[in-house]
Amino acid sequence: MSKNLIILIFGIFFGFVLSRVGASNYDMIFSMFTMENLTLAWVILTAIVTAAVGMQVFKLLGHKGYKGIDIKIKKKELTRYTALGGAFFGIGWGMSGACPGTALAQVGEGKFLAVFTILGLIAGTYIYALWLEKSQQ
Amino acid sequence: MGFFVFGNLLTDPWPWWLGGICIGLLVPLMYYFTNTALGVSTGYGNLARLIFFKTRLKWLHSDAFKNIYNWRFFFIIGIVIGAFISAQLAGMLLVTSDMGRFTQMFAWPFLYQALWFFAGGFLLGLGARTANGCTSGHSIHGLANFHLSSLIATVFFLLFGFLTVHFISFLQAGGM
Repeated sequence: MSKNLIILIFGIFFGFVLSRVGASNYDMIFSMFTMENLTLAWVILTAIVTAAVGMQVFKLLGHKGYKGIDIKIKKKELTRYTALGGAFFGIGWGMSGACPGTALAQVGEGKFLAVFTILGLIAGTYIYALWLEKSQQ
Repeated sequence: MGFFVFGNLLTDPWPWWLGGICIGLLVPLMYYFTNTALGVSTGYGNLARLIFFKTRLKWLHSDAFKNIYNWRFFFIIGIVIGAFISAQLAGMLLVTSDMGRFTQMFAWPFLYQALWFFAGGFLLGLGARTANGCTSGHSIHGLANFHLSSLIATVFFLLFGFLTVHFISFLQAGGM
């Protein structure tokens, strides 16, 4: 199977689970932040713990994957903009009731307003690229 | 909840632990089969290239976007398809203007609602790039790998999400 086909299946699985567990539900995200309903916080915590255990297994296996491919953990560097970006993102999360993954799931679920969240995400990404270019000149 | 009875996994809502385990498993599975790190937000660069197809901005032509139909593109398409299947199996409408509490709280004209979600998406996109990741890349993949940047990003995601939702509640109480 080609890599892209495997990834497509993972994507379908991810979208399906996000939708089934309510992560793409505006009210679930809203009520996580008001702390009326912490279901999604538990989903995220369980996911982190599961992923962390999985990554420890890789350490034992010598970072070798399927058919012996090398596994390289992508490290995310800390910059002086990490906190600022996090703040922007948090406001966007609260406003749209979505994150970049669940906005796609909302579109799949037929929530029309999420199309505008996606368009905003594309515009925000473009403006980042523009800002990066101007700041490097 | 009791001991989870596998009622119907295809149509019923899932308990938090099952969803959490499945999402968490994606991190090692994606590494194992394709040596890729779970993450969504960088894929919006692929979409930006598709929409702003004449752009010459250097970042949108960096190594990550050499081929815009790369794995990130297929992952994004997959999420939409997966959620579509989930919604249709659960008997949801094909298209709906409903956005839960938001559309109940604010009886705004459609244009204002669209602008609101566009603005939210804009901040998500700008913020994810500035922080170098989103909920999946930082809060799940990054925290599971004990990255300090992911911890800081996640704290700010949650703090400002909390403040924003409380501000929205305040607006609503004010009778907007």
